[in-house]
Amino acid sequence: MSGAHTKFDLQNRGLLEKMFEPPAVGKMAPVAKIVVYSFLAIWSLFVLFPIYWVIITSFKDAAAVNQGPSYFPFVDFQPTLDAWRINFTADPYCDMAAIARQLYLLAHNSVAFVLSPVVTIPPMEPQICKIYLAFTNSVVISIISTIFCVAVGSMAAYALARIQYRPKFGNIMIFVLLIVGVILATTYAGVPWWMSSAVALALFFFLARALGRHFKMSLGNGDILFWMISQRILPPIVVVVPLYVMFQAVRLLDTHLALILLYAVANLPIVVWLMHDFFANLPIELEESAQLDGATRFGIFWEIVMPLTRPGLAATTLLILVLNWNEYLFAVFLSTVKVQTMPIMVAAKNTGEKGVLWWEMCAVTVVMIIPVIIMAVLLTRFISKGVLLGAVKG
Amino acid sequence: MSYQTNTSQPGASPAGLSSSDRWREWVDRHAGTFFIAPAVSLILIFAIFPTIYSMVFALSRVRFTGDGLKFRYVGLRNFEKQFFGSSEVHFLGRTEPFSIFGMLVFAVIVVAVLWWLYRSWKTATWVRMLGRSISAAMAIFLGYILCASLLSGNAIGTLYTTLFYVLVGCFVQFVIGTGLAFLCSQPIRGRNFFRVLFFIPLMVTPLGVGFAMRMIADVTKGPFEPILGVLGLQDWVWSASPWSARFVMMICDSWQWIPFIFICMLAALENVPRDHVEAAQVDGASSFHIFREVTWPQVVPVAVTVLLIRAIEAFKIMDLPNIMTGGGPGSSTESMTLHSVYVWRANDMGSSAAIAYLLLILTVVVCASFFNYVVLGQIRKTRA
Amino acid sequence: MTDGNTKASVKFDAVQKSFGSVKVLEEFNLEVDPGEFLVLLGASGSGKTTALRILSGLETPSAGRVHIGERDVTEVLPKYRDISMVFQSYALYPHKTVAENIGFPLKVKKLPKAEMDAAILDAAKQVQLEALLDRYPRELSGGQRQRVALARAIIRRPSVFLMDEPLSNLDAKLRGHMRAELKHMQGTLGITTIYVTHDQIEAMTLAHRVAVLEKGVLQQLASPSEIYNNPANLFVAQFIGSPAMNVIHGSLEGASFQTNGAKVKTRVKGQIAKAVAGVRPEDCSVTDPKKGTISGQIYTTELIGDHTLVTVNWGNDQIVVKAHKDFDGKQGDAVGVVLPPENLYIFDETSGERIR
Repeated sequence: MSGAHTKFDLQNRGLLEKMFEPPAVGKMAPVAKIVVYSFLAIWSLFVLFPIYWVIITSFKDAAAVNQGPSYFPFVDFQPTLDAWRINFTADPYCDMAAIARQLYLLAHNSVAFVLSPVVTIPPMEPQICKIYLAFTNSVVISIISTIFCVAVGSMAAYALARIQYRPKFGNIMIFVLLIVGVILATTYAGVPWWMSSAVALALFFFLARALGRHFKMSLGNGDILFWMISQRILPPIVVVVPLYVMFQAVRLLDTHLALILLYAVANLPIVVWLMHDFFANLPIELEESAQLDGATRFGIFWEIVMPLTRPGLAATTLLILVLNWNEYLFAVFLSTVKVQTMPIMVAAKNTGEKGVLWWEMCAVTVVMIIPVIIMAVLLTRFISKGVLLGAVKG
Repeated sequence: MSYQTNTSQPGASPAGLSSSDRWREWVDRHAGTFFIAPAVSLILIFAIFPTIYSMVFALSRVRFTGDGLKFRYVGLRNFEKQFFGSSEVHFLGRTEPFSIFGMLVFAVIVVAVLWWLYRSWKTATWVRMLGRSISAAMAIFLGYILCASLLSGNAIGTLYTTLFYVLVGCFVQFVIGTGLAFLCSQPIRGRNFFRVLFFIPLMVTPLGVGFAMRMIADVTKGPFEPILGVLGLQDWVWSASPWSARFVMMICDSWQWIPFIFICMLAALENVPRDHVEAAQVDGASSFHIFREVTWPQVVPVAVTVLLIRAIEAFKIMDLPNIMTGGGPGSSTESMTLHSVYVWRANDMGSSAAIAYLLLILTVVVCASFFNYVVLGQIRKTRA
Repeated sequence: MTDGNTKASVKFDAVQKSFGSVKVLEEFNLEVDPGEFLVLLGASGSGKTTALRILSGLETPSAGRVHIGERDVTEVLPKYRDISMVFQSYALYPHKTVAENIGFPLKVKKLPKAEMDAAILDAAKQVQLEALLDRYPRELSGGQRQRVALARAIIRRPSVFLMDEPLSNLDAKLRGHMRAELKHMQGTLGITTIYVTHDQIEAMTLAHRVAVLEKGVLQQLASPSEIYNNPANLFVAQFIGSPAMNVIHGSLEGASFQTNGAKVKTRVKGQIAKAVAGVRPEDCSVTDPKKGTISGQIYTTELIGDHTLVTVNWGNDQIVVKAHKDFDGKQGDAVGVVLPPENLYIFDETSGERIR
């Protein structure tokens, strides 16, 4: 075996060797090339086929869908714009200015809501074009929620990377007990929620002050981080019903604010997890030097640290944006009319009497997929630079 | 990495600063609190609080009345219903008759778990023993249900349907995803093209995937209809038999989630230091040998982390079975989330919350066990 | 495992390498004798690592042929070239013990376990690692890791050793020690070694011959003393020697070098408008301001220990001179520098070629 290489004869490489051995380092053997590319091609077909099917179905009419499968436009069936027309232009208010009108409506009603304790502005009645309403809602809620989530999460991640926290275990137990107390009081004893919450908060500050010094055991940054990241394990189904009750109590049901907050909380663990890794890997000397120059903590965060993590920040933002765009469960539980988002429109095509209106549904799905594909292209460009890998390793 | 948060300016007496500066300094000194307060408050209000509230739901009988909800404390009755009461078959499946084969396998499982506990008894602290006891109890319980239902030839309930989606699904997705990543890590042309293409399914809304798959899997109107005809299967309806329905569900779920494994594993494979691979090439190892000896061991820590993340998400599966089969036939494709939703629609909010909590407990115990014994073990190996 | 010394010669025949439009190696010709220790010396980007990688088979040349011994190995995979390589980062497998790392090449060849263990022990003894065979790389110091990489390279007794800057990750003191170890080992084993480095001290101390590379072109191939005393061009002259050779710009007229309003006698004759004169710090000396070839002002003095380095400002140039350790001149003093003509190297500034 060991002498084989000295007897290796280059001129007469056997056919088997030519087929199975790579011709040089950094290239593949011919057999390997065939195998690899064919598997990749098969999987590509597997990936593309459902998307292709959705796209062509959006161009079919009821007859073409119900009579059995047809595969190629112009060959098996005649493509029509029926589905697109019904979705986007059939409703009386669906025209080119619809989106602008929706945005204005949204702004008007938000301002009215914010100023409602002070002055009453009558809300504008929506001239609803359902699909544009849903589209606008989706866009607005996704974007605002993403910005909010990334901002809050980055700040928390940065703090956990640079500042030492030592919350006392005893204090945390007191807090949890007080929460339980509030809930029991509100549900079984009928105490109004704001009263019990206020009392609980006051009790907490008092007890923490009084008993804090007796507690020895405390948690550290790692525990807080773990707690934040592990929130992702919580199945949304556990919290939707209580959230529904809570939002109803503050009359925030079917509002944009509710969904924005919820989407932010749902994805906060991901942001904290990813951004913490970026911040922890930055050399601390940059921040220390800024500190010596007298910068405030927030100044350092905003001027020095954030710009350095731009690629990671961009990748995280895109990821959260896509997740928010696709979110369905919270939307369906907490919205009725005004705040419906695109996924709800897709689901609404599953009507009771007429069965599923496949062709219309596919049109809406296509509109949902296109921005997502663009974001996917951008996101993979970041991932290929190894930006997110550090977080997974940690 | 930390430094003092106390950034009072040396040499400048507090009395010499203007009030706005003092206010700014006070804010900066408490920057730690301000930075983390929004995140903590959000999580407390929208995650912790509802979770505890949900427990109250689970412990009560809840009814809608004129002025809101009325709670009546009923203790653990909602939970009992899932294990022993009217919901038992729905949730756990049929557990009788208990076949001989099932009993044998169960005995083996119990012995293995107890032996593992015994072995750790000597080396672990009491906190760790507590954790291991919980894992052991869960393992024995799940083993019992498995042996009594599936291995005894009986039907399984939503508990094991969920576990099927998680365990079998994650395993299949991991194997295929890693295989694809391995293929893509070869010196091929167009690696970035494949990376983008294979990433797309992950980005489509699960709802859309559900409907698309339902369309495609339709045996009369879907694209496979002629193929089924050729194979002589034109009368086969996959959604009529429990197991074929579950398998179809798993395949469709895999379509969406294999990209996740693929992307992470590809990044991990690309991050194996080139030097190590080249050294092995110079030393004469074949590609297969290099993969097994050099590449794979360095990728394992990432692999188990990815698997954990996927498993955490997999426990929540809901959209796909809801849309494709409505949980059917019967309730054989219902995941626990779906089960909870259907029970909620039937106005039994207490049971709905109870089932949701059982899912939470299941997820936490399984994932925490996996994390502690497998993931941490791997990470400790590479960081020691 | 091949026993005995199957040392082979190495030949680069008109090898060229381009990455895209960037030409990294140009018309590289080099012949290495069996058992010779040849150092490829150059700055980063000079093409030395590329040449090594082409020899190892990890890269294929864009043109030219490579021979090991009598075989043309240009298209042969690394594993068939009978070579061993030590990487700059050592490339130790983190999940394998030291013994498993060292034994990996033999494991690949599917040697029986007893033979393998004996060979591992033997290689470990040669680098004094036999006590650490069960450790993992992360538990070892830099020097120990480097010795593991060495052991892994020698265990197969290949015909050629390749080393890619193996000492650059060590601290200075350890580097000196390992240099001596490497030289001794190569002398004992006698295997042909191609060694890549940017450190001219390593080149001077280890090599039988040095090949100096700059921007992909071979500048000079000669023994260390020849390179030091007889540099072929300005680049080689300035690269070798510490502190570096002093360089003064001016013109050559006949037998005198003119610059800064002074004329310095030279040994070579020529007529070059743009010339460069070079003199090594140890070849010139400080003296009275009136007794020297030229005179200037002291810019700074540095006591090294056994000598003092005096930097002298002369016109627009600076000359560094090695003076006696008790030299007591101070910053700003006037001082004379003696520039003996036989130690003055003259170069053409445009081509860099040495005028002989």
